[in-house]
Amino acid sequence: PKVGSRRNGRSGARKSARRIPKGVIHVQASFNNTIVTVTDVRGRVISWSSAGTCGFRGTRRGTPFAAQTAAGNAIRAVVDQGMQRAEVMIKGPGLGRDGALRAIRRSGILFRFVRDVTPMPHNGCRPPKKRRV
Amino acid sequence: MAMAMAMAFSLSKSLSSLFLPSRSQPSLVSPPSLQLPVKKASTRVSSSLTTADEITAVTCPSLAYANTLFFKSGVYNAQVVVAEDEPEEKLLSRFRRAVFLAGVIQECRRRMFFESSQDKKKRKAREASQRNRKSCRGCDSSVKSTHLEAIKRFWKPYVVRRRPQPKVSAQEETPKKKDDEEDDNWELPEGDLS
Repeated sequence: PKVGSRRNGRSGARKSARRIPKGVIHVQASFNNTIVTVTDVRGRVISWSSAGTCGFRGTRRGTPFAAQTAAGNAIRAVVDQGMQRAEVMIKGPGLGRDGALRAIRRSGILFRFVRDVTPMPHNGCRPPKKRRV
Repeated sequence: MAMAMAMAFSLSKSLSSLFLPSRSQPSLVSPPSLQLPVKKASTRVSSSLTTADEITAVTCPSLAYANTLFFKSGVYNAQVVVAEDEPEEKLLSRFRRAVFLAGVIQECRRRMFFESSQDKKKRKAREASQRNRKSCRGCDSSVKSTHLEAIKRFWKPYVVRRRPQPKVSAQEETPKKKDDEEDDNWELPEGDLS
């Protein structure tokens, strides 16, 4: 978390004035949902969208098509602000990984890297118990 | 900590994006028979790959087997450099392959729920059998045993844990039993009782 923007005053009113040519697109793809967040290079969020906010509900949120629409929504909001280049960071094991990447490719934003940043513990916290279904 | 980061940075400089270490196997040093010939236009193949890997495997073993790559912009498991005019499907397949080689999805699924020591043993046995089967798939049965021996000999310095070998002990026991039976004197001594 980058602290220090407080000195500039509240940035909420200045949101429309920001012109960011380069940013980072984070895709968090879990099994039940896909969240696409567009931030600047430092990590401050510009806009976000998810499969749930796009109108899908329940099991359909986890589908790659829902991820596609979420990515499309998020990028559309940001292309108006003048973003041309981006980096893509994909997190999580869900089905939305491919769908979101496809939509990002089709949106016309130039991206140089696609990275997988799924967090891997070096044997850290104990995960929840096995499901007995 | 600073030294580890410096090592990681020097290591990452000499690695290309697709030669990624995997968690299940000793990373970065792959036997020549199992190496996948990867020819991609937009990735750099470093000729000094083995020397850097050997150095890190010796000096900083925990780092050499780590699944993450450290770059200036952050830590990641897999990275694909995108060319300008790359078709969408090609990019997707390349990314999927990079992720598969890094073992991300497998690792995620494993860590979703807690796995007991029994489950862990079963999983390791399954992985080992899959690995052995996969490596011997291309050769016929006459070469299979020698191939397995070669693999074992290669991986031996990296395998720290002891493997249970019930078959060998069973074989040792049966000849011992036979020897005992032969040593037993079942025959009556010769001569008359007088």
